[in-house]
Amino acid sequence: MSTLLDISGLSRRFGGLVAVGDVGMEVAAGSVHGLIGPNGAGKTTMLNLISGHLASSAGKIQFDGSDITRWPVDRRARFGIRRTFQNLRLFREMTVLENIMVGMHGQTHCEIWHALLRSPQQQAEETAITERAREALDFVGLAHLADMQAGALPYGSQRLVEIARAIVARPKLLLLDEPAAGLNGAESQRMVDLIRMIRASGVTVLLVEHHMDVVMPSCDCITVLNYGRRLANGSPAEIRAHPEVIKAYLGGRLKRRAKPTQSSQPEAAHASP
Amino acid sequence: MRSSLIARLGVALLLAAVPLLQSNAYWVHIFSLALIGVILAFSQQLLVGMAGIVSLGQGAFYGIGAYTAASLAISFHVPFVLAIVAGGLLAGLSSLLLIPIVRLKGSSLAVATLGFAIIVHLVMLNEDWLTGGSIGMIDIPAPTLFGFSLGGEKALYYICLITAAAVFLAFDRIAHSRFGRALTAISQDEEAARASGINIAVYKSKCFLVAAIASGIAGGLYAFHSRYLNPNDFDFQKSIDILIMVVIGGIRSLPGAALGAAIVVLIPELLRASGEFRLLLFGVMVIVFAGAGSKGLSGILVDLVKYIAQHGQRWLLQKPWTARL
Amino acid sequence: MTIDQLVQTTLGGLAIGCIYSLIALGISMIIRATDILHFAQGEMLMIGSMAGLSSFWLQGMPFWLVLLAGVLGGGLVSMLVEVVVYRTLRLRRVSAINIMIATLGVSIVLQNVARLVWGSEPLRYPTLFASGGVKFAGFTVSPQLIWIVLLSGLIMGVLILFFRFTRLGIAMQAAAQDPDVAQLMGISVDRTTTYTFAISGMMAGAAGVLLGSLFFASFNMGFLTGIKAFVAATLGGLGSIAGAMIGGLIFGLIETFSGTLISTAYKDAVGMVVLIAILLFMPTGLLTRGGREV
Repeated sequence: MSTLLDISGLSRRFGGLVAVGDVGMEVAAGSVHGLIGPNGAGKTTMLNLISGHLASSAGKIQFDGSDITRWPVDRRARFGIRRTFQNLRLFREMTVLENIMVGMHGQTHCEIWHALLRSPQQQAEETAITERAREALDFVGLAHLADMQAGALPYGSQRLVEIARAIVARPKLLLLDEPAAGLNGAESQRMVDLIRMIRASGVTVLLVEHHMDVVMPSCDCITVLNYGRRLANGSPAEIRAHPEVIKAYLGGRLKRRAKPTQSSQPEAAHASP
Repeated sequence: MRSSLIARLGVALLLAAVPLLQSNAYWVHIFSLALIGVILAFSQQLLVGMAGIVSLGQGAFYGIGAYTAASLAISFHVPFVLAIVAGGLLAGLSSLLLIPIVRLKGSSLAVATLGFAIIVHLVMLNEDWLTGGSIGMIDIPAPTLFGFSLGGEKALYYICLITAAAVFLAFDRIAHSRFGRALTAISQDEEAARASGINIAVYKSKCFLVAAIASGIAGGLYAFHSRYLNPNDFDFQKSIDILIMVVIGGIRSLPGAALGAAIVVLIPELLRASGEFRLLLFGVMVIVFAGAGSKGLSGILVDLVKYIAQHGQRWLLQKPWTARL
Repeated sequence: MTIDQLVQTTLGGLAIGCIYSLIALGISMIIRATDILHFAQGEMLMIGSMAGLSSFWLQGMPFWLVLLAGVLGGGLVSMLVEVVVYRTLRLRRVSAINIMIATLGVSIVLQNVARLVWGSEPLRYPTLFASGGVKFAGFTVSPQLIWIVLLSGLIMGVLILFFRFTRLGIAMQAAAQDPDVAQLMGISVDRTTTYTFAISGMMAGAAGVLLGSLFFASFNMGFLTGIKAFVAATLGGLGSIAGAMIGGLIFGLIETFSGTLISTAYKDAVGMVVLIAILLFMPTGLLTRGGREV
């Protein structure tokens, strides 16, 4: 398999704090690649660096043959990198269908004057967008919610709408930021199925996730981060057996035992191999 | 779809009949002014309602359109339609000056546009060679078409009405297009909009451009409507009035903006009887409607109609007068 | 420009700058505590100016009582507006844009109340300071300007001491920085917000008396002055107390010098160009720690 995303020496500092330090990573085209690590390991920072929401302090991001390190977010999105957000970012007052239609923005071209004249080109494009949006909605299993206001949907459905918005334009790479956060067991299982379906449709996926029962069955390859550094890289089986990884997670768990917090306990439970 | 078409035709007919119902020249003059206000409110609605940009600079584009149209008509005897179009275009062109500031957010952007409006007003006030300075522009010729004078109050009213209707249709189409969706997306969540491939700065600039063209056209109409321009018609207070129109009527819809414009122009006239209290009452209304939330008056009216429809029906069905017996 | 003119212009700029500082402080305090861009802040200046003038008419009061009346007038009206209008809107969870519009509405109301009470003609302020010039380090300067600078400095000094050493001042700072935590610590955020408005109104009121004594008082003296003070606050860094003070001084100097050197007609335009440049190139202003967006 060819490499779609090739990251080398990527760093991001916040003041004196190194959130991501000298990380290298390759994502193979057509794979589902997991990015895991204890809390504060820099996973979301990595994702933001790849999507362009954060600028890197050093390093290089090569994507599909282009050096995109200095590209702004919207250009990367039009070039084929789409994402979801850890805390949902839907266009809350638009309908579900409209949300997904916005996802087609980079793939469509009609300008203001087309809309003013209702040109045949514009009509055709609108029809095509609507159709594609309905398909994407159907793909995530929410066809019946098309005309609902997005902000009024339950949490789990909002996650799916966000995914539909990200995949409607058939991106080359989909970045999923904790898609299973806040989902129950059955919903997590459906998320695994959905990730597999997305992969089958030809979209490469980079998955940041805490739930090991989502990561392990869906990923072809996993990169582990710890304190902003790359700790390990390999297949799920290799990662499971990797002594450094076990140490990082167990160490994290022991530390948390000493000072338990509500959010970290279930995560530690998931992490134990 | 069908019912909205009928509603639109109904409103259009009603507005077309206004000068027949109230033929007093003074009132027709004021109604035309209200229609010009409606166009200004549309331009602000595009900015604040769709893209979430609070502009306190629309009065500047209004003034640029007015002065352009007036100068062309006075100095070069340009026909009024062309002069008005040119006013819109030059206002649009001058909106490109705002490109550097579109990346500002929220109140910073609002105050920067206010700064722009203040600068433009000072130019109008001080550049005698260009704008007539504090005296302004006088002797703007009456509009004529194919040799017929359209300077009467009624003719002007219909010119304003047709223009306002055209701007409404244009903006309505824009709202339901890729462009409109992109603007709405920006107003709801800029990060998610960027992640969907929308270039925020480009779209905000385009939004300013379209809104400025509409405001400039309104200015052109105003030049022929009042036949006299005073720089103080275009001070920052005007920009604030335009924003107030949209907020009173409801920022989420074009009809709401139109309603707000009608209120802002007409209420002070209607309150003339209350003499010195009229602006005071107007201020109170601004606070009350701002407090009513983003729905504005139009939203409240729609809710009210829905409520009556719902409860009226239930009331009829339940026949409480028999149930209570 | 002769050295004498330079001294005169600088002093004039500092005096007007102090007045901007006083209003800018209020705007900064309010935006920090509530995220409201308070377009009606300039009206508190106008109310203060009018209250001071009225107290003089009533009794021919001495200067310090006129100033006190202005301070009280501005503070009371500001507090009243917060309790009656803004708090109601916040409770109704009205959006930021709408609250901003409401501040414009408040401005319209106050201007028109003032017009009803005090009329629409500019009113002459009494001579509150010894007229004529005093010799100062070899230059003849107007004592009025010196008084304005000294008094403003005194007021701002008292404010800093208040924030640093009183329980209420510290509570207000805490509530502005993190309302949720402050609430947990037993600070009533509603109350600190009310005091924030009261204090910013008081400072604007003082500024009103000082500005009135320089020129005159009129019902529409406030709005544009308020906008300029906002520019000053932005210049120094919105939400920063020291920034508002220094921003006011710098803006006053810029305005006065551009009025003298460039053109009187365009001195406001120069200010606005400075504003736009600051927003573009130093969006957080001269003196802010961290980029806090408003």
